[in-house]
Amino acid sequence: MELPTYSQKLINIEKRTQRFMLGALGLMLLVLLMIGLKQDYFSRSTSIYFLTSNAQGLSKGMAVKFVGFKVGSVQEISMEPNAAVRVRVSLNDEYLHLIGQDAKARLIKEALVGESVVEIVPGSTQVRQVTQGSVLEFERGQDAASVIESLASQLQPILSDMRQFAATINKPDGDIQQTLKNLNQVTAATREMVNQVTRLGVSGNQKLDSVYLKLDQALEHANSSLGALDKAIPQMVERADTTLSNAQEVTNIIKQVTQDSAREIPSLINNVNTLVQGGQETLDGVQQSWPLNRMLPKVEEQRLPVDGYVAPEEP
Amino acid sequence: MSHRHSVWMLLCSVVLLTACGHVQETRSARLVQAAEFNQRAQNAFLHGKYQYAATLYGQALQLDVAIEYVDGIAINTLNLARVNQVLGKTAQAEQLLDQLLNDKALRYAPKYLAEAAVQKALLHLQKGDAVDAVVWADKAVDWCGPDCKLSGVIANVRAGIALRMNDGEQALFWSDRALAANRDIPLEHANALRLQASARLMMNAPDEALRLAQDALTIDKLLGLPAKIRQDLLLLAQVHERLGHTEQAGQFRQRAARIAAVGMK
Repeated sequence: MELPTYSQKLINIEKRTQRFMLGALGLMLLVLLMIGLKQDYFSRSTSIYFLTSNAQGLSKGMAVKFVGFKVGSVQEISMEPNAAVRVRVSLNDEYLHLIGQDAKARLIKEALVGESVVEIVPGSTQVRQVTQGSVLEFERGQDAASVIESLASQLQPILSDMRQFAATINKPDGDIQQTLKNLNQVTAATREMVNQVTRLGVSGNQKLDSVYLKLDQALEHANSSLGALDKAIPQMVERADTTLSNAQEVTNIIKQVTQDSAREIPSLINNVNTLVQGGQETLDGVQQSWPLNRMLPKVEEQRLPVDGYVAPEEP
Repeated sequence: MSHRHSVWMLLCSVVLLTACGHVQETRSARLVQAAEFNQRAQNAFLHGKYQYAATLYGQALQLDVAIEYVDGIAINTLNLARVNQVLGKTAQAEQLLDQLLNDKALRYAPKYLAEAAVQKALLHLQKGDAVDAVVWADKAVDWCGPDCKLSGVIANVRAGIALRMNDGEQALFWSDRALAANRDIPLEHANALRLQASARLMMNAPDEALRLAQDALTIDKLLGLPAKIRQDLLLLAQVHERLGHTEQAGQFRQRAARIAAVGMK
């Protein structure tokens, strides 16, 4: 009587185990399927390549974006026999028709502080679309550090120009200082001449000859000064022109950098805020957990100590 | 692994997991905020920013009243009264203490009432009203009980009252008790030394007074309390005068005047 019941129980256990195993297997397959979907194992893709002189900033798995959408990823980075770096990129076929053979691959940073991605810069739509094995031109986008570096290198000659310009003006025996000195002398001579003319008017025409002579000398002096000024001014204008055009160029770069950064700064601040908030929450959680909650002093309201002394009245 | 080891491992794991999972009792955000205001006020008080401390204690008190945290209400009312006393706003300080002492709606712990009574006694003493000061000191003793932490402070207050009543012997008696009770509280220990020096001077024992006042000065310098250092220097000037050291007395007065000129309390 007991044996059939026992064997029945065994059969039941076996059935349940089978069901459990099947369920677990099904679940495992489902997870694998989801991983595969997430990793784009089931979407059709086309491999294209680009070549670069060094692999700095590039890594396997890096996202490839086209007009802001992820369209693929970097699959392989290898070195060619001629030391060039060959990068294989897998592009989702869905977007392939949008990328022409003349498109470019560019390594950029998504934000001032952010991860690097390979951006596909669209080429002309008239050109045939990329196919398996196509090779794209590659360029490196400028990051904040390189922009600042180039800005600094462009500012340097301007500053040295300005320094030189200021030095030329201040040079005591330089053209400008000499010209100013000469002009001063001419002014003094003219003033003297006018005085003499006045005196001449009072005392008659006796000294008219000497006055004419001095007037001649003064005019000659003025002529030579103006000549020197004539020579100096074109040089000065030319230098000022160069300086101003350099300054204009730098202003444009600064404007461009500011515009580029302006779009990124709010999101950067937002990210930092979220990060700080998250960090604070984590810290609060840790502080409230054992054993730290025993070690840290509790924030509790405290009494000020009473001071039991009253100073005597002063005479 | 033996069976015993396994059991131990299991027990340890359970204890560790329980300990790690233990989370501190949760306190409301308002309560935490009130505590933060209180702590910022304490810092401001210690740095001599009394007006700012008063503002912060006021904010903490408001929060405590809003969530009816009775201990917090008592603590911050006492603190606010103390800051007002330091700021010279004695009327406001007294009003706050009366609010606490005459509150019919809420029941405060005796330790808070004892402190309020001590502060009242000090305010009366400051006004020169020694009789009422004695009344409030007695009330403080009643609330304080036998193991009261304020016993040393109350002894100092009684010594101060005795000095105001020109009773040198009583002042010496209470300051002696205050010295014994305040061994671990530097502020009150220095107060007791200063009071005892004054009592000795009153009883015509300037040599003893000199030693006590110097000890008080050393502690007050360590504590960095300008008002107390100035009091010690003035007392030392009086002692030197009594000893016939006119020049030294003048020097101590000058030192006290320099501290007063800075205007820090």
